[in-house]
Amino acid sequence: MKRFLVVLAVLSLVGLLLLPSIGCKPKAKPLEGKVTIWEQMDPAELEVFKALVAKFEIDNPTMKIEVTHYTNEELRDQFQTATLAGQGPDFILAPNDFAGPFVTMKLLKSADEIFDTAFLNLFVESALNSTKLTGKIWGIPDRNGNHLMLIYNKDMIPEPPKNTDELITIAQQFTDAKAGKYGFVFNLAEPFWLVPWFGGYGGWVMDEDNNPTLDTEAMVKTVKWLKDLKDTHKIVPPECDYNLADTLFKEQKAPMIINGDWSLGGYGALNMGVARIPMVKETGLWPSPMTSSKAYFFSKDLAGDKLAIVKKFIEFITLSENQMEFVRKLRILPSKKDAANLPEIANDPILKGSMDQMVVGKPMPVVPEMRAIWDSIRPHYEAVLAGIKTPETAATDMQSDAIKKIKEMRGE
Amino acid sequence: MRKSGLAYILLLPAIIVVLFLVIYPFIYGLQISFTNMNMYTVWEPKFIGLLNYQRVLTDKILHAVNYWQLLGRTVVWTGVNVFFHVLIGLCIAILLNRKLKIAPLYRAILILPWAIPDFISCLVWKNEFHMVFGSINIILNRIGLMPIPWLKSYPEAFIAIIITNVWLGFAFMSIVILGGLQSISPEYYEAAQIDGASAWQQFINITLPMLRPVLTPAIVLGSIWTFNKLIVPFIITLGGPAETTHILVTANYSAAFQYYRYGFASAFSMINFLMLLIFALLYMRMTRGAKGVYE
Repeated sequence: MKRFLVVLAVLSLVGLLLLPSIGCKPKAKPLEGKVTIWEQMDPAELEVFKALVAKFEIDNPTMKIEVTHYTNEELRDQFQTATLAGQGPDFILAPNDFAGPFVTMKLLKSADEIFDTAFLNLFVESALNSTKLTGKIWGIPDRNGNHLMLIYNKDMIPEPPKNTDELITIAQQFTDAKAGKYGFVFNLAEPFWLVPWFGGYGGWVMDEDNNPTLDTEAMVKTVKWLKDLKDTHKIVPPECDYNLADTLFKEQKAPMIINGDWSLGGYGALNMGVARIPMVKETGLWPSPMTSSKAYFFSKDLAGDKLAIVKKFIEFITLSENQMEFVRKLRILPSKKDAANLPEIANDPILKGSMDQMVVGKPMPVVPEMRAIWDSIRPHYEAVLAGIKTPETAATDMQSDAIKKIKEMRGE
Repeated sequence: MRKSGLAYILLLPAIIVVLFLVIYPFIYGLQISFTNMNMYTVWEPKFIGLLNYQRVLTDKILHAVNYWQLLGRTVVWTGVNVFFHVLIGLCIAILLNRKLKIAPLYRAILILPWAIPDFISCLVWKNEFHMVFGSINIILNRIGLMPIPWLKSYPEAFIAIIITNVWLGFAFMSIVILGGLQSISPEYYEAAQIDGASAWQQFINITLPMLRPVLTPAIVLGSIWTFNKLIVPFIITLGGPAETTHILVTANYSAAFQYYRYGFASAFSMINFLMLLIFALLYMRMTRGAKGVYE
């Protein structure tokens, strides 16, 4: 009996001690730690991004997001080198075509391993598919488009040209080479700016099996057209690169520019309009710029608390209200469905024009072989512009070089 | 022995740093060069012997040019650049070695091309070479000459990158040479003047030999840096037009980081390393640059 009373007393005491916790769930330890992101944003983009990072850190004081900036090429080189050595960042924000080599090198953890289908379904399909490779979604897109379009100065030309004939006529009216004025400007020598016209002449860079399709009548006509803009019609300055085109347009020495959606935020001081790149009169086809996205990609080594923090951050940064911060300041199209459907976008003539151009664009292939395509177009296209190669020879050489380079990349 | 022991202990931190930052990556690079490592095989590379070395020396490296064409171009690039670095550097150093009131100001200004990041200088020069809006062609135009398509035709583009690199490199050489000039005792010149030596004779028989211990390592270093100078052709011409301004290092970079051909690029680097090593050893031997003035 005495023993029974002692046991009862001990149990009662233990019971009393445990009483406060009865009915309460054990408190979850808050997520804590630092994650690192590497990015290649423009200064204006970075400003918006850093403001949102600061907001996230205020809301989540135990979590820290360390942002490291690189140029585009640096980001690609550094990420692959560092991740191969096990020293890479936790995640990156990069153009979607980075997925090609990174997936091939097994440097990434796929987004569909991290996020559930319900979350992925919140994104516009074309944006999400821009990171799709080998049947998996590899990144979470932060925008949709990243495409070229015709941007024009409404104070100089009230209506944009609808086709290439109109383009030449209007541009010639504004060209006065001696005064440093030109009717039409764009990054003439860069293959990315050649692609829309290639589409306008009915061509495309690859077939469905990722084989290059550069030696075509469409490429011959495209290259000839681009050379003619400079040498025959003389409406584009010789050696027109990105900075020159951008400067001439900003200084109102050129009424029309072909540039990407990333540039729209920088032209806020102008009375600008956005339209499709004029239709190729000869074919009746709209030029088709490559569409793509920038996306958050995740290191293969991301796991544990760091993974949870990154996931929480991605859910935060892609909230529609946060995507709209980028939209308002940078005039890019959002990747979330609910943000894309906001009346604010439908009623904005600039964003509406950008959207109108995007629908005739084509998704940029994300396979690593694209590198060989770009580098095979460049030297021969340059040779045509310099007048040392014919468009026909250039197209043939582009094709043979691309085939050779792809074989070399595969180690064949 | 005890003295040597202390010396080794003091050298140990440097040896460890060199071991991890130079020797280990070098051996790893050498190992990769015998494999088929590329983007598809990065985790499971296979040994392929000397195949990469054979490919570097016999295949086309870029689309149109092979290793030997690139080597010839790189030798011209390095030789012309270092020649002008030394020539301009020497002239400026001799001028600044005189007793001028504003010499300290000039010395400070002289550092500028070297102090400005290469990246910025290259972007500025790229704009200056623009056919329509670049200041060089604007000047040519004003004096009634035809504008030159600096960046879009050969050899103009090659000349343009050389001009940029001469600008970037002469400041270092003039500062090194100026240091060498200031260490020459004026007594030699006084004695030579008493013997009736002309200024040219003094330069040939006193200045140049006394500068040798300073000049030789500076030239070797300058040559190695110029040989490996990626940023100038990469920013100004991107190897164009039609690959005519690619040099070995830009082609090597392209193989490694644009085409992910790690094995091939490592073999390429090893061959470049051997070329530079042979050059440095031969140059040091020919000029006896490793020896002191009085040896």
